[in-house]
Amino acid sequence: MDEAFFVQLALSGGAVAVLVAIAAWARIAKPAGPLDEHKARGILEYEFPGRTLDAIWVASNGAGALAKSGGMALVICQVGDGFAARQIPWAQAISASFKNGKLCVDLTDISAPRATLSLPSWPPTNLAA
Amino acid sequence: MKADFDPVTLATPFFILSIILEIVLARLGKADARYEPKDTAVSLGMGLFSGVAGLLTAGVVFACTLWAYEHRLFNIPMTAIWAWVAVFLLEDLTYYWFHRISHERRFWWAAHVNHHSSQHYNLSTALRQTWTGGVAGTWALWLPLAFLGFPPAIIAIQKGISLVYQYWIHTEAIKKTPRWFEAVFNTPSHHRVHHARNAVYLDRNYAGILIVWDKLFGTFQPELDAEPCRYGLVKNMATFNILRVAFHEWIGMAADVVRHPRHALGYIFGPPGWSHDGSRETSAMIKARSNPVEAAGTTRSPAGPQGSRA
Repeated sequence: MDEAFFVQLALSGGAVAVLVAIAAWARIAKPAGPLDEHKARGILEYEFPGRTLDAIWVASNGAGALAKSGGMALVICQVGDGFAARQIPWAQAISASFKNGKLCVDLTDISAPRATLSLPSWPPTNLAA
Repeated sequence: MKADFDPVTLATPFFILSIILEIVLARLGKADARYEPKDTAVSLGMGLFSGVAGLLTAGVVFACTLWAYEHRLFNIPMTAIWAWVAVFLLEDLTYYWFHRISHERRFWWAAHVNHHSSQHYNLSTALRQTWTGGVAGTWALWLPLAFLGFPPAIIAIQKGISLVYQYWIHTEAIKKTPRWFEAVFNTPSHHRVHHARNAVYLDRNYAGILIVWDKLFGTFQPELDAEPCRYGLVKNMATFNILRVAFHEWIGMAADVVRHPRHALGYIFGPPGWSHDGSRETSAMIKARSNPVEAAGTTRSPAGPQGSRA
């Protein structure tokens, strides 16, 4: 690798920074908006078709949701202007750490390490078992 | 391996200017395009370092190509027009099968998945290129061209032309091209289908330049007005960590092999989503669940369930 290679790499890196800055300036992300229960149910129906939801909790900032479906917890978390969904055992969701109004759910997936949801309380007393 | 004439290097200023143009037109409401800054940073970062990663295996690729060419069957002149026509068709056919295996077998999907990991479809997505393609060894699929007698430079140039062609089709700003063009060439519409995670669109439209290969081998699916494309992976990533984007499938595959060594071959060479206990879903399973009749092959035509609109 000669000097020209590193010069080219540095210039390309500069171009990347400029393009990202222009993308940020333009503010043309998807107009997703915060989740409400209706939207959350729609996403869950698409991601986990046919699954029955026993209960659903939507993050107070609309950046995610968690639903109980039998023995599983269905989790939605915001990723940029989109969402990702995973399912984990309900017991794992119940034992997730909850501090200062933030529920941090370990999704045990290398491509989705964790979801952080703003909730008033956790776990729900009537569904903890 | 690079020839003295490298289409990708020459096209780089065009890549930059066209992304700026797409963003500005979208900002002005003149074009349909969505950009999220972190997503854009990951796409461009993957593109930036894919070239660096490629250098790690470039020596092996070059040596193998040279060896194949030294044992060539025919002497094909680089100056003959027929040679360029032939390499155009054969390289594009090779690309189709490279691309198909990169989607249908997990080992090669592990190298290709990052290109599909964005929930966006814009010109920056085109540059979300693999870091591990050299390790995956799919470059070996192009060795027969050198063995046939095509000079390595002509192969490298044609591969570059194909890559540059495929750049401009990563956009929502262009809806449909003229009918004759849609019928023969890969277009933004055809490639939107390829990047979509809707069940009906999974594992379709593998073409590089010519869409005719998909029509020939039964993998063509037109974009349907009733089924707007949702981009990304069946299980979308929940992180913008570029290292996770680049390596997550390799790590997931290795973890599966360690957990279930008796089923290692299935986890490595089975289709993405395969599991020994059926607890996960492959594309075929998702399609079957979504549309059992089509998946059973009882009504499916090469043009897809609703016929060709191309």
